[in-house]
Amino acid sequence: MTSSAPTSDFRAFWRSVRANRMALAGLAMLAAALLVAVAAPWLAPYDPEASLRVTIEDVYAPPSAAHWLGTDDGGKDVLSSFLYGARVSLTVGFFASFISVVIGGLIGLTAGYYGGRVDNVLMRFTDIILVIPDLPLTLVLVALTAPSLFNIILVIGIVGWTGTARLVRSQTLAVKERKFVTRARAIGASSPRIIARHILPLVLPLLVVNTVLVISLAILNESTLSFLGLSDPTAVSWGQMLNFAFTRGAMSVGAWWALVPPGFGIVWVVLGCTLLGYGLEQILNPRTQSHHLSAGARMVARLTERLTSQEDRLARPPAPRPPDDLSAAPVLLEVRDLSVEFVSPGAAPARAVEGVSFSLRRGEMLGLVGESGCGKTTLMLSLLRLLPASGRITSGEVLFLGRDLLGLSEGEMQAVRWSELAMVFQGAMNALNPVRTVGDQIGEAIRRHEVVNDAARLDRRVCELLDLVGIAPERRAQYPHQYSGGMRQRAMIAMALACNPQVIMADEPTTALDVMIQAQVLELLASLRRQLGLAVIFVTHDLGVVAEVCDTVLVMYGGVAAESADVDTIYNQPQHPYTQQLLKAFPDVSQVGGRLVSIPGYPPRLNALPPGCRFAPRCPAAFARCHTEPPALHAVARAHTASCHLLDPAEAGRRAGRAA
Amino acid sequence: MKRYQFLLQKFAWALFTILFVLVLNFFLFRVLPGDPARAGVRDPRLTKAAQEALRVRFGLDKPVINCFETLNPLRLGDCWVNPLETQFFIYLGNLLSGDLGTSYHTNRPVAAILAERLGNTVLLVGLGTVLSIVIGIALGVVAAWRARTLIDYAALVGSLVAWSLPTFWLGIILLLWGSTQFGLPLGGKATPGLAFASPLEAWWDTGRHLLLPTLTYTIIFVAEYVLIMRSTMLDILAEDYILTAKAKGLTTFQILKDHALRNAALPIVTIVALNLGFTVAGAIQIESVFSWPGLGLATYEAIVRRDYPLLQGAFLLLAISVIFANLFADLLYSFLDPRVQTG
Repeated sequence: MTSSAPTSDFRAFWRSVRANRMALAGLAMLAAALLVAVAAPWLAPYDPEASLRVTIEDVYAPPSAAHWLGTDDGGKDVLSSFLYGARVSLTVGFFASFISVVIGGLIGLTAGYYGGRVDNVLMRFTDIILVIPDLPLTLVLVALTAPSLFNIILVIGIVGWTGTARLVRSQTLAVKERKFVTRARAIGASSPRIIARHILPLVLPLLVVNTVLVISLAILNESTLSFLGLSDPTAVSWGQMLNFAFTRGAMSVGAWWALVPPGFGIVWVVLGCTLLGYGLEQILNPRTQSHHLSAGARMVARLTERLTSQEDRLARPPAPRPPDDLSAAPVLLEVRDLSVEFVSPGAAPARAVEGVSFSLRRGEMLGLVGESGCGKTTLMLSLLRLLPASGRITSGEVLFLGRDLLGLSEGEMQAVRWSELAMVFQGAMNALNPVRTVGDQIGEAIRRHEVVNDAARLDRRVCELLDLVGIAPERRAQYPHQYSGGMRQRAMIAMALACNPQVIMADEPTTALDVMIQAQVLELLASLRRQLGLAVIFVTHDLGVVAEVCDTVLVMYGGVAAESADVDTIYNQPQHPYTQQLLKAFPDVSQVGGRLVSIPGYPPRLNALPPGCRFAPRCPAAFARCHTEPPALHAVARAHTASCHLLDPAEAGRRAGRAA
Repeated sequence: MKRYQFLLQKFAWALFTILFVLVLNFFLFRVLPGDPARAGVRDPRLTKAAQEALRVRFGLDKPVINCFETLNPLRLGDCWVNPLETQFFIYLGNLLSGDLGTSYHTNRPVAAILAERLGNTVLLVGLGTVLSIVIGIALGVVAAWRARTLIDYAALVGSLVAWSLPTFWLGIILLLWGSTQFGLPLGGKATPGLAFASPLEAWWDTGRHLLLPTLTYTIIFVAEYVLIMRSTMLDILAEDYILTAKAKGLTTFQILKDHALRNAALPIVTIVALNLGFTVAGAIQIESVFSWPGLGLATYEAIVRRDYPLLQGAFLLLAISVIFANLFADLLYSFLDPRVQTG
């Protein structure tokens, strides 16, 4: 390890502390308190030990020029006592928490590192101590020993270690299995050495956060003990001042000045610790910025950009037509020129979907394919307007039976969701609520969209739905964790069918499943489509599955529609180099001996897109124009479009000319 | 794991913990420097005969445990007495018959004092706990739902400040403010010397006495529930099943009620259980400030008066209540979490 590494670690850490307002405020508050404690002899206007000539006017004298914070029951200056009180309170806080953290840290490290029986015994012991209410225990211990500052520090320290022990143990457990620790063990390093050299540094950040909070608890405990009259009467802490004032008539005189400042001091220090601890924790475990119910960014850009996009559309070829046998079916869903971007503070917006158009007819199964991160899921979520708060639709229309879903109010949209367009989510383990039964969750969807007065009828429908996807209806009373992965996925499909939607969007419904179950789920989707006349959008990166079940295919790359056509055309005459590469990267059982070629490189980062064609950096056929100008969507044949400069008739002519 | 196994395990664990507390309670008061048990019996206010009677009654003339003074295993024979004659077994026997000793200060049975105080603490703590949980959950949910808006920041900072307040000091300030501004009583449970014409008036009087202690308790505990609820909800609302619920067309209110809150019940039950120890701490401080005649005030008085039997009894009762409350929380947890029910 070089000596510069810790310094730069520390610099990075310090930068994030400075960026966190809470941590910074807490740090400043603690620094101020520490300064007051250290400088008390210079700051205090009076010596707190020296008794004044006490006359009756000096007792609980209100604030004045001579005594800024008035006087106490003994005629002493409250401000001076307050300043000196900081020393006692902080001393107890720091030393007691030091004891707690050392005891808790050692127990936690030992339990976490050695595990097994050692861990069991230590943690059981910790559990017992944890359940004994700590203030009564502290009170009893202090009451039974002599009330000296030393004893108080000792008792508070000894009682307060349990939280630290549990925290350090769980962190040690997490760290212990990391590679370099197991490696150190394998080469025979001694346990204390491994703990000190490898584990402690990784536990330390959390321990620091924890220490800050332990200090605040110790200070609170000390003040409570003092207030209850259990501390050293010669060491006047803030709590002790409050005890004196409260028990010696400040309440009946209304001498708030003797009661407010000491309490303010305690709150100041404890709040400083709390803010610092809270801020540091945020730095160590940053939470995601938003959740599914966060107010979304408003789609402000939409109305203005729609005008331009409509002009654009005139120049573009129409959306691809489905194959002949479907072309008679009515169009259910038509997406026109849809663009979505994600905004995050301090970064360029990520253009996750740009100018995508497609249409979907009744009974059609559309395969949406592309590598991970090319905008497939974003596209699906934006159709239901379920984008996270940072996402916004910047242009386009989502016409469902001629009605633009993007123009609906949130309430109208809620009515459309699931009853018209339902979704089967990726990874149904987390998509089902773990604490409600599967049947309940299916019934909930029905109850939301229909008036159901008859509980027995609702139950019957839930049974039918489960039966339809091949789940025994008795299992409706079970919870998701009692289902296997494939069953959960089928339950999710049953739920999607609950309200007889016209369109089902299945987002990689088979990725987490093994091959047999995969086939089951696919077969189920295909047969349901035939049975119920559903239109299905099938999101996947598995081209084999697409060939098997889909009618039409939309290939996406880097947020744009690269190519779209019926499934035979895509497989037999792919025009876009990306589609061609994708097919080469896919094993074809019929061509024994054919070599698989993976596409070099990675999909583009959506907030740093290349200026030209998004595929150009990885494209084997790219030429100069590809790197500067994004290609338009060209019609290759009826119902077959691709966005590639190679298909531009002008480009073809130019090339022919150059060749001649 | 089947549910009954889970329950059995928790029950056995609670019993074991109680046993530990019994032993701790016994030794703390006998082994620590100053020998408080003997010191109490040597109370100069008692006559010699009374002191002797107490010594015999608490068995203080007997060894603490067998061979307590002689830890040399080879000499066990010299000090071995009938185990039932040792202080520890006398203590256990007395406990089993409900005898917690006699208060040095009032000379009444400790068990009787604690019994009449228990109801008052349950009233104060129960009311405060219900209020703080309801308000805390509501505020926490709103803060999480409206994350990173003004209302969220206000709830967060307000809670952090409230969390940092020493309980007793908040009590003092509220008492100072309430008694001078609104003429609320300075403490106690009932206005002394007042004869009430009807039970309604008596309740009104109790209510006026209960107002400030309950307010103090609620402010202190609401803070923690807001913080816990907020972070729990932030995690839950980012879960996939919330997106499913939203995709199903459920309204925001339905999602919060039927999906998020239901799932947040588990962590909240855990936190409420963990908080029970702090509940006791809160009761001691608040009852001391407001002279509310509950277990907390009994503890405080026992400390101030060096009334060790009362302190010992109060400690035992408080610790055992927390253990039972924890057990109850575990049971509740097993009913709320289907994964425990059905394994």
